[in-house]
Amino acid sequence: MNRMTRLLSNVFRYRETVLVGALVILFAYFAWRAPGFFDAFNLLERSRYWVAPGLMVVPMTFIIATSGIDLSVASILAMSAMVMGLAFRDWGMPMYLAACCAVLTGLAAGALNGGIASYVRIPPLVVTLATMTLFRGVAMGLSRARPVGGFPASFQWLGQGNVFQIPGTAANPVYVPFSVLVLLGVFAVGWGLMHRSWVGRFTELIGENETAARFAGIDVSLLKCLLFTACGGLCGLAAVFHTAFYATAKADTALGMELEVIACVVIGGTRISGGRASMPGALLGLLIFGILQFGLEMSGVRSRNIIIIVGLVLILTAVMNERFGNQYTGGGSG
Amino acid sequence: MKRNLATLMLLAVVPIVMGCGGDSVPDGQEETLVIGVMPKLVGIGFFNAAQRGIEEAGHELGVQIDYDGPTTGDVEQQSRLADTWVARRYDAIAIAPNDPDAIAPVLSRARARNMDVITWDADAQPDARDWFVNQATAASVAHTLMDLMAENAGEDAKYIIITGSLTAANQNIWMEEMEQYRQEQYPDMVNLTPTPIAPGEDQARATQMAADALTTYTELDGIFAITSVALPGAAEALRRAGMADAVFLTGLATPNDMREYVKDGTVTRFALWNPVDLGYLAVHAAVASVRGDLTPGIEVFNAGRLGAVSVVDDEILLGPPMVFDADNIDDYDF
Repeated sequence: MNRMTRLLSNVFRYRETVLVGALVILFAYFAWRAPGFFDAFNLLERSRYWVAPGLMVVPMTFIIATSGIDLSVASILAMSAMVMGLAFRDWGMPMYLAACCAVLTGLAAGALNGGIASYVRIPPLVVTLATMTLFRGVAMGLSRARPVGGFPASFQWLGQGNVFQIPGTAANPVYVPFSVLVLLGVFAVGWGLMHRSWVGRFTELIGENETAARFAGIDVSLLKCLLFTACGGLCGLAAVFHTAFYATAKADTALGMELEVIACVVIGGTRISGGRASMPGALLGLLIFGILQFGLEMSGVRSRNIIIIVGLVLILTAVMNERFGNQYTGGGSG
Repeated sequence: MKRNLATLMLLAVVPIVMGCGGDSVPDGQEETLVIGVMPKLVGIGFFNAAQRGIEEAGHELGVQIDYDGPTTGDVEQQSRLADTWVARRYDAIAIAPNDPDAIAPVLSRARARNMDVITWDADAQPDARDWFVNQATAASVAHTLMDLMAENAGEDAKYIIITGSLTAANQNIWMEEMEQYRQEQYPDMVNLTPTPIAPGEDQARATQMAADALTTYTELDGIFAITSVALPGAAEALRRAGMADAVFLTGLATPNDMREYVKDGTVTRFALWNPVDLGYLAVHAAVASVRGDLTPGIEVFNAGRLGAVSVVDDEILLGPPMVFDADNIDDYDF
C-alpha cells in the first residue's frame, strides 16, 4: 500500500503527468458533451490553427527559461507576413524567395530584440513591448493597412494541404495536414536542444542564476541574443504557414497571439521567472489551450464566454505554478 | 501530490460548470435545419438590428439559428468559428466576411462538406460561396436618391453632389447611375457639379466644403451627400447656415449619425439599406438554398414578407434602400 502511494506520488511529481491527465479529462468531457468533437477529421482540421502559435511556443520556452520574455512575436509574424506579401506582389519575387524574405525579416527582427536586450542590457519585457508596437507599425505602414491576397495555390498548400490519408479511413477520408507535421518536427528539435544538449542546460542555468552562469564561462549575452534571433526566425516561419492558411497577408493578423503563446508555455510548466523549462509541457500546454477552445466552441458556448473561461483557466494555472512550482524540482531550486 | 490532483480537477471542472450555458444542436430532430449566421462582429447597432431580422426569419421558417460572431472585426476569429460550424455539420452558413480573401479557404472547406454558403453585407471570393445577398446595387441606391430629390426639391431641381474621394469605387458607380437615371426620368434637373465635391473621409472638411458650396451656388435647390461621412458633415453646414428650408439635403448615412439633424429638421429624409431586412433575407436565402428552391439561373425567389426578390446571376438583391425620416428613425439604433 505504501509502495503504491510512493509510486503514485513519483508519477505525479512530473507536471507533464498532470497535464496529460488534464488533457485526457478535457477530451473525455468534450467527447461526451460536444457532438462532433471526438472526430479525427475535425480534430486534425482544427490542428492547423495551432501551427502558427505552436511554432512560436518552442523558442518562447527557451526565452522564458532564461527569465526573459518576447512580447513581439505576433508583431514579427505580421511584419514578416507583410514583407512576404509585398515581395511577392509588388517586388516581383517568386513565391519561394518571398517566403525566404519572411524568415529573414523574422531573423532580423529577432536579432534587433536580442541585441538590445543582451548588449544594451535593457530588460526583454521593455524591449519587446516597444518592438511589439514598432513591428506592428511597420507592417501597417508597409501595407498601408491593406491586405495582400492572391497567393498561388502551391503556396496555400503549405497551410491548407495534406500529406497523406490516414490508413483505414477510406469511407470518410481523414488527412494529416502538412503544417502540423512541420510543427511536430520543430517541437522535436526544440525538445532535443532543451533536454538533450548543452543549449537547454545553459539556458536553464541563465534563468536560475545569471551571475553564476557568467562565472561558469557561458557567454550569456551571446546565447540570449541567439535565442531571440532564433525566435524571430521561427516567427517568420510561422508567418509563412499562417499566411498560407488564410491565403492573405494582413498587418493586423494574429492580434494577441503573443499572449496565447506565453500562456501555453506557462501552462506547460516552464517557470515564468526562468530556470526551469519543459518542452513536452509546452506542447501539452498548446494542446490544452487548443482543445479547451475547440471543445467549448463545439459545445456551442458563445465566443465572448469562451474568452472568459480560457482566461479563468490561465489564472488558475498561473496560481498553481507560482504556488506549487518549486515542489516539482525537489525544493532545491528556488 | 494532492495539490497536483487539485490542479487536474480544477482544469476539468471549469469547462463543466461554464459549458452548461451552451446551446448544442438538439438530438433526434434531424429534419430541423441548422443555419449558422455570422456578422462581421457582434455587439454593434447595425448587426444587432440585422439579428432581429435573422431571428424573425428563423422563427418563420422553423429553422434553428446559431447567431454568433467575433467580438472585434477580425476575419481570423470568423474563420475559426466557421470551421467549428463545419465540424458541427450545420446545414448552411450565412456570413458577413471581414475580408473576402481570408475567409475564402474556410468557406471552400464548408462547401466541400456539402454545406450551403451565403454571404451577406459583404462578399467573399465569388467561387468560395453559393450566393451573395447584395444590399445595395448601384441602380437601387441611385434611383432612391434621385426620387427623393425629385419629390422634395422638384423635378427641375439644381443640385450638387458631395462624395468621399474621387476614386471611391462605389460612389463613382452610384453617380454614373444617378446621371443616367436623371437623363431618363428627370431631364429638367441640373447637376451643377459634373465633377463632384470630394472632401475625402473627413467630416470636418465635408462641413467646410458644403458651407463653401452654399455660398458659391446661389441658385441651389438640393445637395446629395453620398457617403456616411459627407452627409452628417453637410448637415452641419446646412444647420449653421440656417438654409434647411431653401436647400433639400439627402444622401446615405446611418440613423445614429443623422438623428440630431432629423430631429431639428435640417434633414427630413435620407436613405440607407435596412439591416433588419438584410438579415431576414440572408436567412431566407440560406434556407431556400438548402431546400433546393434557389438554383442557378433563377430570376426571382419568394422571401417571406419581402415578397418576390430579384436574383441576378449569383446575387440576391435586397431591393431599394430604406428611407429614414422623423417618424421611423427612432426605431433604429445603429
